[in-house]
Amino acid sequence: MPKSKPPEKAQKSSGKARFKPGDRVRVKDLPNLFYSRTQIYVRGVVGTIAACTYQDIIPEDEAFNRDGRLEQYYIVRFRQKDLWPEYPFENDTLQTESPERWLEPANN
Amino acid sequence: MSARRDLRQQQELIGAIQPALHVSQNWNYAVDGALYKAYMHPPHDVGGQFDAPGVYEEKEEEQWELNTYVTCEVLGWRGVWNSEERRRRADNDLGYSLYLGIPYYGRWILAAARMLVDKNHISLAELIEKVAEVKSRHAKK
Amino acid sequence: MSHTHNPGDGGAGERHAAPMVEEITDFEVLEIAVRELAIEHGLFTAEDHRRFTEWAESVGPAAGSRLVAKAWIDPAFKARVMEDAVKACKEIGIDWAEPTGFGTPSDYMNLRVLEDTPTLHHVIVCTLCSCYPRPLLGMSPEWYRTTNYRRRLVRWPREVLAEFGLVLPPEVEIRVEDSNQKCRFMVLPVRPEGTENWTEKRLAEIVTRDCMIGVALPRPGRTADVHPVQKAGRPVQR
Repeated sequence: MPKSKPPEKAQKSSGKARFKPGDRVRVKDLPNLFYSRTQIYVRGVVGTIAACTYQDIIPEDEAFNRDGRLEQYYIVRFRQKDLWPEYPFENDTLQTESPERWLEPANN
Repeated sequence: MSARRDLRQQQELIGAIQPALHVSQNWNYAVDGALYKAYMHPPHDVGGQFDAPGVYEEKEEEQWELNTYVTCEVLGWRGVWNSEERRRRADNDLGYSLYLGIPYYGRWILAAARMLVDKNHISLAELIEKVAEVKSRHAKK
Repeated sequence: MSHTHNPGDGGAGERHAAPMVEEITDFEVLEIAVRELAIEHGLFTAEDHRRFTEWAESVGPAAGSRLVAKAWIDPAFKARVMEDAVKACKEIGIDWAEPTGFGTPSDYMNLRVLEDTPTLHHVIVCTLCSCYPRPLLGMSPEWYRTTNYRRRLVRWPREVLAEFGLVLPPEVEIRVEDSNQKCRFMVLPVRPEGTENWTEKRLAEIVTRDCMIGVALPRPGRTADVHPVQKAGRPVQR
């Protein structure tokens, strides 16, 4: 019999957001095993928190249908020159999303 | 049933669609850290890879493509899987040949079929029989 | 390969007859098999499938065009769009909770509208798959799903945009949005000159899908996205 309710999501959140807009963060380079939505091109690069968005399950849990804890997600802004050293235009930027566990504070 | 000659041709085609490798490998026991990391890289993470300029095309949607999209979404609606699991299965678990080689929604439907078998909703034998039956049902028309 | 696209044709004028496909393809067979087995096993009903199909056939870029045109004309609406885009969508008749009551499984309910200015231009990609705001823009175009676009846009945005016919001066900041998680994005372009006193309906006509992805700019007289088109063997029957 088909269920009529959405797949249940874990309600527990990890609490307060660790970062706020304007904070400088570095994307971690955690080992890849089976699944990741953290692109290789942003790993190890320092960017700026552009927005705190929502809390949700991390992809590593959800991709295996596991109800994990909810985690804070952010939009992070990078300078293209920081992502690609040979990038020729000074002002261009790139934004992408990241859950909190993939980010660490960068103070430089 | 395929004739023997067809099967031989099929075998050659299988060889031809293997990924093109740029370093030698075959039971490579000297996998260093960098090489290991490269093997473990999720195939869907393509941003920043080199490619030549291409033609940006539209495509008229096939009926089976819309049906596939809807089937996969309805399986999510009814809690049989979620979209992140679908992305993992369709964009990573199939391996490079299938990932780069077959149509977008071809990957979706393969992912759904595999999921139903993996989770024991259907048996592989049942799926194989169904595929053969659908094929013959439509061949008669 | 039986690709029947015709580069240079532009896709708009000439309509080729769809190739006659006698034999059912392997993907069609697999799709039918999976759908029938899922229904036989009670994983979903034929009615579920029909309802979702009806929704999928109802979505398209026209909704996004309406949103942009209304935002150009009504600053208070634009402010609501920037504050909570999912909520603002209801004002133009788009409910992100459809068709299930909790949205689609793949589109989530976190829409963010990216506002262009004379010195900032946004362009959207999903490098990992092809995440796209379906409730507002419909199904993603084929080119958006290609590895080519996904590989190159994040690193060579100006080259890729130039291939779409969009060349922007270096003073304009290009901001690529890689839609890699659960936010969905849409570009709110700058209202072009020469559209003063236009009605909302007329404005909406120049806001094409490509303008809302960020690979084109709206301008008077430009009312269609022109790309070569691959024909389907057995297209969707409407």
